[in-house]
Amino acid sequence: MDLRQLLLILALVCANDSLSTSEVILGRPPIIKCRSPEQETFSCHWTDRDFLNLTTLGTVQLLYMRRNDEEWKECPDYVTAGENSCYFNTSYTSIWITYCVKLIKKDEVLDEKCFSVDEIVQPDPPVGLNWTLLNTSLTGIHADIQVRWDPPPSADVQKGWITLEYELQYKDVNETKWRELEPMLTTVVPLYSLKLGRDYEIRVRSRQRASEKFGEFSEALYVSLSSISSVLCNEEIEFPWLLVIVFGTFGLIVVMFLILFSKHRRLKMLILPPVPAPKIKGIDPDLLKKGKLDEVNSILASHDSYKPQLYNDDSWVEFIELDIDDPDEKTDGLDTDRLLGDDHCKSHNCLGVKDDDSGRASCCEPDIPETDFSASDTCDGTSDIDQSKKISQKEEDLLCLDQKDNDESHASPADPTTRKPNTNIQSEVNQSKPPFADSIESTSPPVRTQLSNQSSVANIDFYAQVSDVTPAGSVVLSPGQTNKTKRTQCEAYTEPAIQCQPNFTMDSAYFCEADVKKCIAATSHDAVEPHVQEQSFNEDVYFTTESLTTTAENPGAAAVEASSSEMPVPDYTSIHIVHSPQGLVLNATALPVPDKEFMISCGYVSTDQLNKIMP
Amino acid sequence: MSKEALKLQNKEFRVPYVPITWVRNGLSEGVLLVVLLVSNMLLSKKGATSLPICPSGSVGCQVSLGNLFDRAVKLSHYIHSLSSEMFNEFDERYAQGRGFITKAINGCHTSSLTTPEDKEQAQQIHHEDLLNLVLGVLRSWNDPLLHLVSEVQSIKEAPDTILWKAVEIEEQNKRLLEGMEKIVGQVHPGEIENEVYSRWSGLPSLQMADEDSRLFAFYSLLHCLRRDSHKIDNYLKLLKCRLIHDSNC
Repeated sequence: MDLRQLLLILALVCANDSLSTSEVILGRPPIIKCRSPEQETFSCHWTDRDFLNLTTLGTVQLLYMRRNDEEWKECPDYVTAGENSCYFNTSYTSIWITYCVKLIKKDEVLDEKCFSVDEIVQPDPPVGLNWTLLNTSLTGIHADIQVRWDPPPSADVQKGWITLEYELQYKDVNETKWRELEPMLTTVVPLYSLKLGRDYEIRVRSRQRASEKFGEFSEALYVSLSSISSVLCNEEIEFPWLLVIVFGTFGLIVVMFLILFSKHRRLKMLILPPVPAPKIKGIDPDLLKKGKLDEVNSILASHDSYKPQLYNDDSWVEFIELDIDDPDEKTDGLDTDRLLGDDHCKSHNCLGVKDDDSGRASCCEPDIPETDFSASDTCDGTSDIDQSKKISQKEEDLLCLDQKDNDESHASPADPTTRKPNTNIQSEVNQSKPPFADSIESTSPPVRTQLSNQSSVANIDFYAQVSDVTPAGSVVLSPGQTNKTKRTQCEAYTEPAIQCQPNFTMDSAYFCEADVKKCIAATSHDAVEPHVQEQSFNEDVYFTTESLTTTAENPGAAAVEASSSEMPVPDYTSIHIVHSPQGLVLNATALPVPDKEFMISCGYVSTDQLNKIMP
Repeated sequence: MSKEALKLQNKEFRVPYVPITWVRNGLSEGVLLVVLLVSNMLLSKKGATSLPICPSGSVGCQVSLGNLFDRAVKLSHYIHSLSSEMFNEFDERYAQGRGFITKAINGCHTSSLTTPEDKEQAQQIHHEDLLNLVLGVLRSWNDPLLHLVSEVQSIKEAPDTILWKAVEIEEQNKRLLEGMEKIVGQVHPGEIENEVYSRWSGLPSLQMADEDSRLFAFYSLLHCLRRDSHKIDNYLKLLKCRLIHDSNC
């Protein structure tokens, strides 16, 4: 049993020896804290935690031992460092040497600690904190300041014995959490974006470089930014309405200018729509401007319904457009009807054919599409009833002619047949000759159909020469004359119709004026409005203005006879009187008998021939 | 002076004022080269803050003492920070509760070198002696560091941070030694000091079979390394402030 007790004791002692750290032996938290502020001296402090009556119970001693010594020495200075402290001055301090200190109280080791001085360096706080205002922002909300301090006086930085690192912390006075900056080696640092109108606190602490422990903080520096008056005191800037308005209008102006310049033409079109100039379908006005008539003619020729204007240069030559009446297609009123129907015309403000691309003057709006008469309802005062009337009248006229023809029993059936298919409805010349008319009449249905088939023009009026104007006010036309009132006139022209039986050289419906004139009984008339033909055919028939005299004194057939048999119908006339709006009175100028030459080149007269003829 | 020498002189004088027409005339290459060299010289003399680079072995190339000290201080600081970190890591990982600190009172192998122990002594010592001491300490650590790198890998579950720090310290120590030798060559040229350093005989302790003993050996070695690196760092800063900044850092 003694051996066991000895063994136990030995074990305990060995355990005690093996546990060398004070913490393990005593089982208490360490109470000695040693610190060197400048790496030249150091001091140790112990807290009086567990032993309230340290001093009363006995003196507490701090023993220290340097590495090289073998015995413990007592603290050289209990006073300098304050209560419960031990101060080691420079003579007792060696830097890179291990020290051990222990606190004892009556041979009771309270705490023990080993260290080297370079490990316990904790510098004093920096001194001399001050700040200066660097600048303020334009908005007057933020400001930048520069903080400056001096190293602790105890630390010999100038000789390089110790190298210090600083850490700055700042916060708003009202805040609780400090903001930190990275450790720096300099003693000057700027602080950016501090808010004006608030107060801040700044504190700095230092440590030895490459060490871990910081020293104590300096006293807090009070930065009062609220005292700095700023122009804009409001933290929250009001919405800059003025700026918005100014910039908004500026931007709008810029956008408007851009639109104006980019869509210049379009706007121009919107504001000032262009007045449509009269134009010909399919013809570029530039061609006309350039004077390339050949091209224009070719273009026109490509259209079936147009005629070239071969006598463009002969401006004084006027033409009356003659159209073969095509009752199938005809929906509009005849021009003759129009002439006759003054009421209609006046009421509907109709002078003639609506304006299509043929260029004929019209009362209608110019930009009505140029399909023919079929569309011009506005111009046509004539209703369908009238149209049917006209048609029936025309048929009656034709019937008249038919009768004449039958009576005469002469016909040149071959004539129409030789008529070239190109002859169109429009090309037919007014004739007073019944046979011709008859021929026309007899073959009219097929001709008509033939012509109608070929004609691309929907409705073309059949123009007739006004041979007489009855006192009643109706116009006598021959042939194909429409007499609304009297049928007797139909018979009245049999004679002239008989007279007109020359052998026409049917040159594709190309009739000599002279021959035609013989057949014409011109007594009184209303002038037929000359029309400028713009529709092109391969071979056209033109009809110059006849010498149409208005002789009211020569009514009836007698005048007709006289005029037809005696006088050579002058080819050209001059305007005598203008009876507006009903027409022109043309003087019949006695012209010399046309030459053979003229006879040959019938149908049209060249300027040379005209010069010969005319005085 | 000979005509040629005069000519050369004149040429050198005139080089900065070379008119452009000369360049065009075909003297361009040579003149341009001279102009570039002269301008480079002029610029380099105007206090280039960047550290000049001297190729090894060059005789004429002269790095200023201030630059050398700057580099040395940076290196020493770096080595010390690495050593501190490495020691702390090792202490946390392996030395807790083992009471190594009390046993480490025994000095390091460099204790034979009488280095100043406080500020007064450091101020009193001559800078040349101090430099030699620094060199001695650095040389003394060549061998231990080498073995530290090789032996630390044998530690059970050694973290990589300790490993690469050991490698880094060993490498930087060599560079610092070279730098210090240059400084000594500038400060105290000509005098060949017999190499003072202390031998290290701690290798067997690092290779002991006993884990505990081995760890204690490492602990004490790392403790000594940290202390000596701090010494060197301090001495160099002291010398720099004294020699370069005239005690007014």
